[in-house]
Amino acid sequence: MNQLLLLPIVAFAKLLTLALRVSGRGSGTALPGYLVGRYFPFVLEALVSQIPVVVAITGTNGKTTSQTMLSAVFDQVPRAKVLRNKAGANLSQGILSELLKQSNAVGRLDFTHAVLEVEEATLPRIARLLKPNIIAVTNLYRDQLDAYGEIDRTEKLIRDGIAQCPTAAVVVNGDDPRTARLTQGMGNATYYMSLAPEYAKFLPYEGQLNRRDPSSQGLEATNIHINEDLTTDFSVQGHINDERVNLPQAKTVSPGFFHVYNALTAIAIANLLGIDGATAIAGLKTFKPAFGRGEILTRQQGDKQVNYRLLLVKNPASFSLSLELLRNIPALKLILAINDNTADGKDVSWLWDSELERLNHADIDWILCTGIRAKDMAVRLKYALDISHSPIPTDESIRQAIDLSFDKANTGDTVFVLPTYTAMLEFRKLMGKTLDVV
Amino acid sequence: MPYALTITHLYPDHLNLYGDTGNLIVLRRRCQWMGIDCTVKALTMGEMAQSGQTDLYFMGGGQDTDQAAVVNDFHQLKYEAIRADTEAGVLFLGVCGGYQLMGNTFLMGSGEETQGLGIINVNTRAPGTDVKQRCIGNLIVEITPATYAEMQTMYAAPRAIPRTLVGFENHSGQTYLGDRVEPLAKTIAGFGNNATAEYEGARYKNVFGSYMHGSLLPKNPHFADYLIGLALRRKYADTSLTLPTLADTEEFAAHESVIHRYG
Repeated sequence: MNQLLLLPIVAFAKLLTLALRVSGRGSGTALPGYLVGRYFPFVLEALVSQIPVVVAITGTNGKTTSQTMLSAVFDQVPRAKVLRNKAGANLSQGILSELLKQSNAVGRLDFTHAVLEVEEATLPRIARLLKPNIIAVTNLYRDQLDAYGEIDRTEKLIRDGIAQCPTAAVVVNGDDPRTARLTQGMGNATYYMSLAPEYAKFLPYEGQLNRRDPSSQGLEATNIHINEDLTTDFSVQGHINDERVNLPQAKTVSPGFFHVYNALTAIAIANLLGIDGATAIAGLKTFKPAFGRGEILTRQQGDKQVNYRLLLVKNPASFSLSLELLRNIPALKLILAINDNTADGKDVSWLWDSELERLNHADIDWILCTGIRAKDMAVRLKYALDISHSPIPTDESIRQAIDLSFDKANTGDTVFVLPTYTAMLEFRKLMGKTLDVV
Repeated sequence: MPYALTITHLYPDHLNLYGDTGNLIVLRRRCQWMGIDCTVKALTMGEMAQSGQTDLYFMGGGQDTDQAAVVNDFHQLKYEAIRADTEAGVLFLGVCGGYQLMGNTFLMGSGEETQGLGIINVNTRAPGTDVKQRCIGNLIVEITPATYAEMQTMYAAPRAIPRTLVGFENHSGQTYLGDRVEPLAKTIAGFGNNATAEYEGARYKNVFGSYMHGSLLPKNPHFADYLIGLALRRKYADTSLTLPTLADTEEFAAHESVIHRYG
């Protein structure tokens, strides 16, 4: 349907993208999608309906990583041709732009699967059009961007999105009370991803840890071992559609418990799409962290080489969990880079909900605060660690913080960097990395 | 004699948004650094309040459903005891949603006005047609002269403290002060109580309300000390009681940085 109508619109969008690129006004990711979505709302459905299998991944933390992990699994499947939206371009215009870009001149899309990260509030707006076969919800936290009494609302939005897709299989975090109850009263087949209780207790959920019904379908990670290089080994057990799953040697290079959930989500979705466990595990081993999410950048000057490991902090939950991970690092060298631009959250109150106290028994060599709100960060640290560590060095300039840390470090050292979103972009840029990834 | 202070955190399970617990972290640590024995107790849903048991109440904001539940519980189990305390000069600090909730009426997310806790004579209304957006952004205010003058008497040795308070506001409700309630400060940058009045916060006896997140007390250590000092002076019935001076290098550097950037 609408194939004839589609033709001029796709041509227009492609020309516009080209014009934006040539004129140097951005990479042309959002505007074509925005204009087409606004004036020709049927195009999204007309394009996406050509792809046989659609997976939508939503939730507060881990959308990009789960999507990247699942893509790495698909790379192991020769017949699969996967379309995915760019990291963070997860509003309807970002998804539509990608569909327009990937379609041929007559608006045809030649893909077997679409794996889309979808922003939480966008899901109910486009679920009916996307008709996803599988919806995954990673977790539900208050984000500093929408912290203002909105988490009940976000939960309801996702429920509304799922309600539009009665036949979709739903993969949820089974420990997070807010995601575990999402499909209550609905007919959707639901699969619960959880960690064995001795690990799940470290995770700061909004409410009481959900106790999973042992008869429910899903996967559980056990024997989780975080290695010295922060790679994580774990075993996977459970049932999906009453078939037993037992994968004793799973591994992810992304650091931390959060990423074990993301890996379980990728394994479960792969299983539901007929990809066997061994292939999924092999794919996860080739997976490279999404930018800023455990990525290592190296600075070399003469004989001296210092590694910087980036762990993006988006909200109190991800901040607290990154600190949990750093507690066991010997002679920890740490940069906290806090900006207050729109994409970071303009209100830095969330630093006080983040459990900096988790550093209390860490083996700290030094800490350096940087970014626009370096001084706020230093105050938070002072109160978390008591005055024994005062004064805490601060330098608002990220460029100078990099130089300073390079001077302080010895060759071969790894410096951990916990940046907010725009601080991460700036840090990468200063280290010679550009935005264009995936 | 070592001093002791009891702080009661009202409804910590239900009113816990926006990092306002930072205020308690700061009060507790500063007491520790000054050698004051500080106990923080939680008083939550279903528990009966008793008067004369606490020196300072703290209440933050919550989600709408939680705030509605809190109002009922408060009137059934807590109103009389806490009202008796605050009338007798016990300290009370409410922030944002907590500030709105302390008043006579407050605004629900639906725009509907409901009964508040009634411990301070302020009213919060839905924004009218003249106010189109939320009041959101960095907020810089100048403390009213009387409060600032008293704040300066809190220290054993004279010290320079800022006249300003800095924080971050984010509210759609418009708060208006009633009889016998003074503003806490005059707005320099941002909005404060409402989009037109140019005043921020409220004070009645030792009951304080403020729209400032940030959290409020970490970057305003002089205000934290003022609350601690007032609470001790009341408890020990000694109006000349003073506090030691802490090295607030990081705190005032953060305070100055907000004024420099957003003032």
